[in-house]
Amino acid sequence: MLLLLDIISGILLVTGVFFGLSGAVGVFKLPNFFTRVHAASVTDSIAVILIIGGLLLQTTFGINIAKLLFILGFLLITSPTASHALAKSARHGGLLTMSELEKGDQQEKTPK
Amino acid sequence: MHTVKWVISLSIFWLLLSGYLKPLLLGFGVASVALVIVVLNRMQKVDNEPQEFGTWLQTIRYIPWLLGQILSSSLRVTKLVWGSPTEVSPSLAKINVEAVPEARRTLYANSITLTPGTLSIDLEGEEVTVHALEQSSIDELKEGYIATKITDIWGDNK
Amino acid sequence: MTSLYAAVCIAILVIMAIALARAFYAPTVYDRILGVNMFGTKTVLFIAVVGYLTGRPDFLDIAIVYALINFIGMVAVLRFFEYTAPVD
Repeated sequence: MLLLLDIISGILLVTGVFFGLSGAVGVFKLPNFFTRVHAASVTDSIAVILIIGGLLLQTTFGINIAKLLFILGFLLITSPTASHALAKSARHGGLLTMSELEKGDQQEKTPK
Repeated sequence: MHTVKWVISLSIFWLLLSGYLKPLLLGFGVASVALVIVVLNRMQKVDNEPQEFGTWLQTIRYIPWLLGQILSSSLRVTKLVWGSPTEVSPSLAKINVEAVPEARRTLYANSITLTPGTLSIDLEGEEVTVHALEQSSIDELKEGYIATKITDIWGDNK
Repeated sequence: MTSLYAAVCIAILVIMAIALARAFYAPTVYDRILGVNMFGTKTVLFIAVVGYLTGRPDFLDIAIVYALINFIGMVAVLRFFEYTAPVD
């Protein structure tokens, strides 16, 4: 029984790390800013759920379960808020309008 | 009644974070809960928008479904990332949210953002501006698969 | 399990390194903020996993504090950049 729990939580941790890595790669590979936000949201939502879930299965002591659930809930509530604030300020900064979408990212400059 | 709910949940929150049952620390807890309640009541006079808790039963029905959606759309985005990222078709659209009860529109927009591949940028009046990685996810949102779920669960007691 | 935790820690460190690299080499200022945000959430996870690796679940408290600080800092920085459009 304990071994089964170990195996399940191992699988959860490894898949979580895999999603995290693919999100991180996506942040570099995708072509313009708003698509990169989507890649970052993969790491923010599914990787967090899977890794915290994997840790939850290894926990026995009551208050630690409550703390882990609090971390999970807090990250799941704040990450959409953060990406919304990011998208909104990027739009105020003129990174995206309806017409710019076809032409691609006009604002991109080469890094110094 | 409303205040009582807040007092209970804030006390649980304090106990969760501190974990000690010594009189001094419990006293600090009581003081900070009282301070938060006073501030909450003052804020109520400013915006007249009571911050209600959703009922737990409905939230429990909603969250597993949302987790399933997050998993399936993450798989889609991951496939795009490892495949050929130049094939994305980013698109922007305004989606009508009249069908969703007014108190649940924030939840709706947050659910859109939380599922990878779609990102809600703005919520003004009856429309939410959504940016998506693929045109197909915009079409799915326009058919309203999240909206119907939310109105199914919360629509009755509106 | 210890070796698995160690492997997960290293993998999260790699993800954090990629996020930091994005924060250093990015075309726009918003990309940098995106990288810093990713770095922050990964740090929370990293602290939690390190707590399990060393068998000291008290680390979860530190993770909670870091999550709170990360969110507040992110919103503050974004409010600052929302109306003062940055010129690189």
